[in-house]
Amino acid sequence: MSGKSAIADFVGCYHDGGTLRFFPFLQGEIVRAAVAMERVIASFSLRRGGHVLTISLTQEVAQFAPFEWALRMSGLIGANADATPFDASRVESIVRQFDAAAVCGIDEAMIEGLRALGHDPAALLAGRICWARHGAFEMLQAAGLSTARRMAELGPMLALECVEGAGMHVDAREWTVAAVGGRIRLSSRLDRHTPIADLDTGLDGDVVTAPCTCGNPDPRVIII
Amino acid sequence: MLEARSRERPGFPHPTCLETIETMPRPELERYQEAALDHAIRHAFHQAPLIGGLWKEAGIAPSDIRSMADFTSKVPFMSKDSLRSFRDRHGDPLGGMYGGEPGEVVAVETTSGTTGDPTALATGWVQTDALSYARDLWQIGLRPGDYHLHILMTYRGGHRRHVLPELGIGEIHVSMSRTEMPRLCEASRRFRPTTMSVIANPFILALEEHFEQSGEDPVDTFSSYKGAIFGGEPLGNRLKALTGSWGLELFETTALGDVCGASECRAHDGMHAYEDFALIECIDPMTLEPVPDGQVGELVVTALHKRFSPFMRYRTDDLVVLDRSPCRCGRTHARFKLLGRVGDQIVVRGRSILPRELLTHIEVQSETRAGLFQIVRATREMDRLHLRVGYDESRLSTGEKALADRLTDILTDALDVPVHIELTSDHELLKLGPPHKIPRVTKA
Repeated sequence: MSGKSAIADFVGCYHDGGTLRFFPFLQGEIVRAAVAMERVIASFSLRRGGHVLTISLTQEVAQFAPFEWALRMSGLIGANADATPFDASRVESIVRQFDAAAVCGIDEAMIEGLRALGHDPAALLAGRICWARHGAFEMLQAAGLSTARRMAELGPMLALECVEGAGMHVDAREWTVAAVGGRIRLSSRLDRHTPIADLDTGLDGDVVTAPCTCGNPDPRVIII
Repeated sequence: MLEARSRERPGFPHPTCLETIETMPRPELERYQEAALDHAIRHAFHQAPLIGGLWKEAGIAPSDIRSMADFTSKVPFMSKDSLRSFRDRHGDPLGGMYGGEPGEVVAVETTSGTTGDPTALATGWVQTDALSYARDLWQIGLRPGDYHLHILMTYRGGHRRHVLPELGIGEIHVSMSRTEMPRLCEASRRFRPTTMSVIANPFILALEEHFEQSGEDPVDTFSSYKGAIFGGEPLGNRLKALTGSWGLELFETTALGDVCGASECRAHDGMHAYEDFALIECIDPMTLEPVPDGQVGELVVTALHKRFSPFMRYRTDDLVVLDRSPCRCGRTHARFKLLGRVGDQIVVRGRSILPRELLTHIEVQSETRAGLFQIVRATREMDRLHLRVGYDESRLSTGEKALADRLTDILTDALDVPVHIELTSDHELLKLGPPHKIPRVTKA
């Protein structure tokens, strides 16, 4: 733990193997992470004043607080829905009423929830950037949604694909990411309240270090 | 491992109230309100198309409002239906409450919205409900260097929370789900938070179940807490006694319209309405005439500092009793007791009944201890009270008919009206609403 003040500003959580671990962190770490996320969001050239819906759980604060901060940095307006099928009607309502430019965090259960209400998720999300969790991305891609992009929680950090859709960017200033035996492992680089050391993220994939054609130098994680 | 708390400066004399305005003498508070209102009405008239339209229909402009008396006699009321109607007529998802520059708005929050599209409210970086809850939690005893356990849906505030950390208070984030209760207990033992918000009936029931099954000690689990803010529904006597036995003192909360929150203090004598955030009135819902303090009426709220959702004489549909006398906690802003929703009121053979009255009788029965029920109301006035009551199947020992008959007798005797009981499982009833509550009144 950091030698600075012991109390954290926030306590979220992350998956470590099959265990959900508490993750205390500081407000400054949110802003640091948001700087890298803003680079990814900027690759889409979204119009300022556009709406972006975040679908998440309250406990995912470590992963999504930086994303929401990055939206604010980008001049985008955030809205939220809980990542439970119960909130499928809210997701449809927000996307439709505000003509959302992007949606982040959709999962398989939400897709099923939308279908249960009689909505076609691919039609609802057509033309909108849609960062989808594993499983949901494949469903949307199979339904022909060309604007679908991958997202994943790598421990306490959120990795997003840019407009090029060629792997999820990982902030190289904050994290060291490597593929070891085909498994993605994550370690923190800078001082933070809760250091992460060689975390098995549970994802099978590869790491690409060549600069992305979007211009972002951060490495990318390719899911296998 | 106990997380050390080391940010607080030893011996720092924290004030009793977070903000000095909480104890402002009433005459000074009322002068402050008049000044704030003068600015608020001009902003609302020019920035909110719904408000401007309502005032033009009423033939008034901000220059016509020179006093509080002018305001309460000339300014038209608005309601949630006003927003929905404007939204549907103009295709404006914000219901005509904000017509300013897009770059000023940071986010859109939405309400629970159990039917139709949820109401959407634009917000800036500073959120008045976060500020009001900071005051409430401070009253309970939360201080810099402490942890607070935060449970709420993401659609209120998202992941943009910053008020408590800026005060040096750490926030532990837990999802609003029954399945999170074991982690809530683990977080409570590890971080030893001082306060929690917002706990609700379904989660207390889930905690009860968790402690019964796990054998964990609730007294130890909650030993660090000075209190927890409870909301979503009325708090029944059984769950109040249960949490009391755990050493967890509950403080009821509600929304002050959609302007900010309002919670009890340790006096438990009404919820505090922060009158620097909102001007409050109490009216007869039928005649619209003002109701004196101490009598039942509908709460009407006017936002004094809500740039992006400037509610003006917003009828909340909440039945309350107002009290403007100083509270034992030392604060001078008004308090109110919440009796129920105007819309939830039913009349059975001339007798007015609110859901809150039924809870006490239902929750004391072992099978129905969860206190889950709905009033099935085809019309506002009925010949008999039709209740759909949830029960715990594992506790049913005498059969459904015997349980239904027992409940019928108890409620008929208590209310002096004919009662019909329809039984269903707790599990089925919980599916009908968001995680923290079920609709108490339904048409079918």
